[in-house]
Amino acid sequence: MATTPETDAPAHRLSRLYLRRFLRNRLAVTGVALLVLLVLFSVCGGLLTPYTYADTDFTALTRPPDATHWFGTNQGGNDVYASAVHGLRRSLVIAVSVSALTVVVAAVIGTGAAYLGGRIERMTLAVLHFLLVVPSFLILALVSHRLAGDWRVLIVVLTVFGWMSTARVIWSVSTSLRERDYVRAAEFMGVSAPRIVRRHLIPNLGSLLIVHLTLGVVATVLSETALSFLGFGVQTPDVSLGTMLADGAGTVTSAPWLFAFPAGLVVLLTVSMTLIGDGLRDALDPTSVTGAAGGRR
Amino acid sequence: MLRHVTRKAAGWLLMIVVATNATYFLASWFLDPRANFRELRPVRTEEQIDRALAPYHLDPRVPLVHRWWEWLTSVVRHFDWGSSPTGVAVNDEIGHRALVSAELVVIATVLSVLLGVALGVYTASRQYGWADRLSQVVSVLVLNIPTSVAALAVVSVAIWLNQHAGLHFLYVAGENSPNVEGLLPTIGDRLLHLILPTLTLTLMGYVGHHLTQRSLLLDTLHADYVRTARATGLTRARAIRRHALRTALIPTATSVAFSIPALFTGAVITETIFGWNGMGRYFLQTIAKNDVHGTVATAAFAAALTAVGAILADIATVFLDPRVRVS
Repeated sequence: MATTPETDAPAHRLSRLYLRRFLRNRLAVTGVALLVLLVLFSVCGGLLTPYTYADTDFTALTRPPDATHWFGTNQGGNDVYASAVHGLRRSLVIAVSVSALTVVVAAVIGTGAAYLGGRIERMTLAVLHFLLVVPSFLILALVSHRLAGDWRVLIVVLTVFGWMSTARVIWSVSTSLRERDYVRAAEFMGVSAPRIVRRHLIPNLGSLLIVHLTLGVVATVLSETALSFLGFGVQTPDVSLGTMLADGAGTVTSAPWLFAFPAGLVVLLTVSMTLIGDGLRDALDPTSVTGAAGGRR
Repeated sequence: MLRHVTRKAAGWLLMIVVATNATYFLASWFLDPRANFRELRPVRTEEQIDRALAPYHLDPRVPLVHRWWEWLTSVVRHFDWGSSPTGVAVNDEIGHRALVSAELVVIATVLSVLLGVALGVYTASRQYGWADRLSQVVSVLVLNIPTSVAALAVVSVAIWLNQHAGLHFLYVAGENSPNVEGLLPTIGDRLLHLILPTLTLTLMGYVGHHLTQRSLLLDTLHADYVRTARATGLTRARAIRRHALRTALIPTATSVAFSIPALFTGAVITETIFGWNGMGRYFLQTIAKNDVHGTVATAAFAAALTAVGAILADIATVFLDPRVRVS
């Protein structure tokens, strides 16, 4: 490093260390590249074709891929390429927003309950356990059966019924953390509760939070797929990768392109997120030695 | 210790009761039993429809609280979970289905926890070895495949195997064959039918345990107390088993319980694809038919499964973590 550690702000130095460790991980960089390509495809892919996901071409029903319809067409004459672009964007937006919201909610509630303790902890856990025993999938199916699958409603519902298990895990780790000496020491030094949660509990949960954030994106894509497969998720005329999979599931042998393209995109999306998450975990882990060549300790 | 667990179990029982009742209100709110009769010909008047629903405590003219009270008393007094809008008793439908689903979910949970934790511990203690890399690649791939795709893949592989390798014991439809007589043949037949759906669910379930267990154990492996344990002369294997693993198992024990709802979701899809008459498929049918009582019974079943898992997790946590005060 060109600058000396003393003149650098500690936060700045740390983020550089994280970046260097992350960039050393070839798989993680591959994951980022994949994700960038997928995002580009979902944003700009529509410019390359005259069709939109809603257009129907009645001269081409269930056609295999050719020069006009790059990914073929489905039973209704919809262009699969245009649907894939739109579906990927829909699935991406849902997955990323739900996962981010979920982890933030879970971290605040989980660490807060563990640290504050007493009556607040008991009440939070009661609500949490209550939401956990009501199987979220069943409620989700009940609610979206009636609300006809608006994707914004889906984000809210998936978040409302999605934060509990992460919060429960974070809470149980935090109950162990709050007994640690450095937390006790901070308490006796008069550090305020929100500050202890922010400075001691959340950083020590970092790797757990990152794992849950990336697994959260993957899990949201998968649960959206599951809901749509059963007819409860995003619903026609709107298109997501999940509805496309459900479309193609019945014709895996007779019209494989209907299934192969969305299945491929789903797997690429989730694999890239998982690779990024693993790279982040290794980069942020305070005990990790990769990438710390010389400079540290 | 025993008192602690009993009190926790009582808490879970209360949770099931509250959750089931909340689902009753939600289901009554979101499902409209009258829709079943509107399609019928000759056309019924709204009043005729309401009158037809009245014997099953589904008459919308009766205040919801009264209907709920009728339903609750019949559940508590006779364990009678009510009837569908067309008068089919829920109890007759769920008895057999609950067994079918419980069998599937319990076996898959046990298998996926054993497989996941064993793999997680093995690969974490040999981080970046070939076994770690290989199982990491496999797990990352499996983790990223939707249940529906995995189940369909398992079905097509099984059909291919049956056709090309001359196997005839991989069943892709139903939970048992008709016309099987006798105790042992029946058990054998059911086990054979269990193979593929259980395989699918276990595949879907083990991955999470493998990856979180690996990551948690890696976190504790570098902890000071593990280094101290090594310094006292313990072998690496013993230090991991006695000191690192004990701490790393705590979050896993908690997450096992709460992986059961996800497995139940997986079971809904698996049952649909493999044509099993379990609770998962029943749930889809009850929602499609606006069957309030059937939906609530399914939710109660799923809640009960989760609670059993959670009680086991509580017991495990008390054993593993002496710092969690039992007060």
